[in-house]
Amino acid sequence: MLRLLSERESGILSPLILRRAETARRNFSLELSKYKDVEVSHKGGVNSLDIDVAENRYLLSGCSDSTIAIHDVLSKTGEVKETFSQVCSVSHNRGSQKHSVETVQWYPMDTGMFTTSGADFQLKVWDTNRLKLADKYTFSGLVYSHHMSLIARKHCLIAVGAGRSTVKLVDIKSGSASHQLKGHDAPVYSVRWSSKDEFLLATGGTDRKVILWDIRKAKGHLMALDQHNGEQATNTKDAKVAHDGTVNSIHFTPDGLHLVTYGTDNQIRLWNTTTGKNIMVNYGMVTNTVKKAVQSSIYSASSPQVLFVPSDSNIQVFDLFKGIHLATLSGHYNIVNCCVSHLDSQYLFSGGSDRNILVWVPSTETEDYEDHLRTDSKDCVVEGRGVKRTIATADAWSSDDET
Amino acid sequence: MSRKRSHIPELYKAKRRCVPSSSSSQENGVSTSHEDTNGITDTASDARTALLFLRGLFPVEKFEYRLPPIVLKHQLYSVMKNRTLVDKQLNDLRTNKEVKVFKLGPEETSRSIVFTDDYRKHVLKVMTDLKIESPVIEKVRQYILDQCTDVSLDRDTLYKGYGFTDMEITYMIKASILTVRDVGSWWLSIPNAGIFMKSFNRGRKSVTTMIRKSKYKEILKQDLEQRQWPKVARLGISYHIHDIMGADLVECIDTNSGQLLRLRE
Repeated sequence: MLRLLSERESGILSPLILRRAETARRNFSLELSKYKDVEVSHKGGVNSLDIDVAENRYLLSGCSDSTIAIHDVLSKTGEVKETFSQVCSVSHNRGSQKHSVETVQWYPMDTGMFTTSGADFQLKVWDTNRLKLADKYTFSGLVYSHHMSLIARKHCLIAVGAGRSTVKLVDIKSGSASHQLKGHDAPVYSVRWSSKDEFLLATGGTDRKVILWDIRKAKGHLMALDQHNGEQATNTKDAKVAHDGTVNSIHFTPDGLHLVTYGTDNQIRLWNTTTGKNIMVNYGMVTNTVKKAVQSSIYSASSPQVLFVPSDSNIQVFDLFKGIHLATLSGHYNIVNCCVSHLDSQYLFSGGSDRNILVWVPSTETEDYEDHLRTDSKDCVVEGRGVKRTIATADAWSSDDET
Repeated sequence: MSRKRSHIPELYKAKRRCVPSSSSSQENGVSTSHEDTNGITDTASDARTALLFLRGLFPVEKFEYRLPPIVLKHQLYSVMKNRTLVDKQLNDLRTNKEVKVFKLGPEETSRSIVFTDDYRKHVLKVMTDLKIESPVIEKVRQYILDQCTDVSLDRDTLYKGYGFTDMEITYMIKASILTVRDVGSWWLSIPNAGIFMKSFNRGRKSVTTMIRKSKYKEILKQDLEQRQWPKVARLGISYHIHDIMGADLVECIDTNSGQLLRLRE
């Protein structure tokens, strides 16, 4: 680290390299935070998490007891020990019935609006400041997933995967459904817009296929991803599948050139978006017994880029392009449903069916604080506050030296 | 500073490379070891040396020379840590016609590898033993043994690409070079593979029961190697240890007294 700093100072190394290496080191050393946590506010499993793009400050969470909560994850005091407080919460109920919220997403431009969808067959658009429903769309079946493009300038479409096999595009400007994409034979668990092309959409579901659509194309889809890249010589037509099991999660890399898919065949696959070929990166067997959509996360502002994948009750951390398994984050008591990494601070927030939202923090941050707690074993005075804090393990008769 | 043994990015690692003494003896004398700061050792630096090493573990004499040395693809994962690199190098070896890859085993993705020279000798021996006519043998040698690099073949490739007739395909199926997969598509296979699969399944089962019977369902690798091995399974314990490690049936944990193998549920 010091070598890198001195090289940056003398100009041998570009500042970007130091930044990427340090964020990589922070990502590699993630552990469950002992001092930071998110205020408990859900009475059911957390199904979906999202952090807003505008300020990277607010964490939106959707729960299976039909509540939606917003937490402020910006560190206000600068202290090591802190709780991220809940800003507000709202209930997604339809009448007196409670339906689980499956997917939540912030409006891509700012935090004035967010969209939620769930088991009540509806997609709802909310006004954040008033916490009131602005619009709602009803579908013929359970809404498994929805996504709005983060870079779209020419359209305001939300792609929704609902019911038995439909993928519908809903336009929030006009308030009606724009068109339906036909191509899947079974429920679609995850839909994702590309982060580079505003008209490219990827969908995947129970029929084991991942299909790429260009929504401007009149008939049919762009391509279906094939895990063997067409090399499997066989007569059966439906061998062209992306996974040997349900596709649980699709995620584009932020540069939009690659796509990561994860399925119940315990495999993660990396695809080239332009050619549709499977880049045969071997991530090993990643156990996946969850029969619904999960949300994985990619942190790409570090080198190597890091992939976080929920695998039953753990989160597996992989090097995105080499497939090397970096770490297993275990801390949830039940299955992990979603994880999202914070761009500026490299914290990882994960939500699971055990009703917790856990914060994973780089261990390099807490080490200095723990040293500080250990060395001043009697009383320590925090500067500027004058509050005396006694350490629990302090006593009057043992010495500081280790024997 | 109690820093956990987690991965460190490349840029932070110490620049000097240490060359430790190789811990395991290798039959072919080829061994290069790399040790990164985590203490995880690679026994071989590339797929070919790993293949040669594993090929050396296969006991051809126990099968009375009726089988060529067969290595399973997942055994390579236990010898080299970076799986993507293994897959890529294996693919290059296959396209360069140095090895042949077959589907062997129940799962769709299980693959086994035989060196092309060994396979060629074996197939020619089997075909001459079965008294198949020499023009057929010549055709098989020219196309299947020397040119083909695929795992499976379909009707179009055989009829139009290579010019085989129905009669010749029947001979090949009789000699177990092709096995039926679908209407009009065949897997390439190893003749007499049945003997191998029988021993292999028995051996895998007995290794896993050995670990299952241990207290806490885990055992040190050195202890497992020193245990008594039943005569029924002829492949040898080190072959099977590489197999269960690579197939993710056990978790490999590094401890102070060597590697610990813990059975995965």
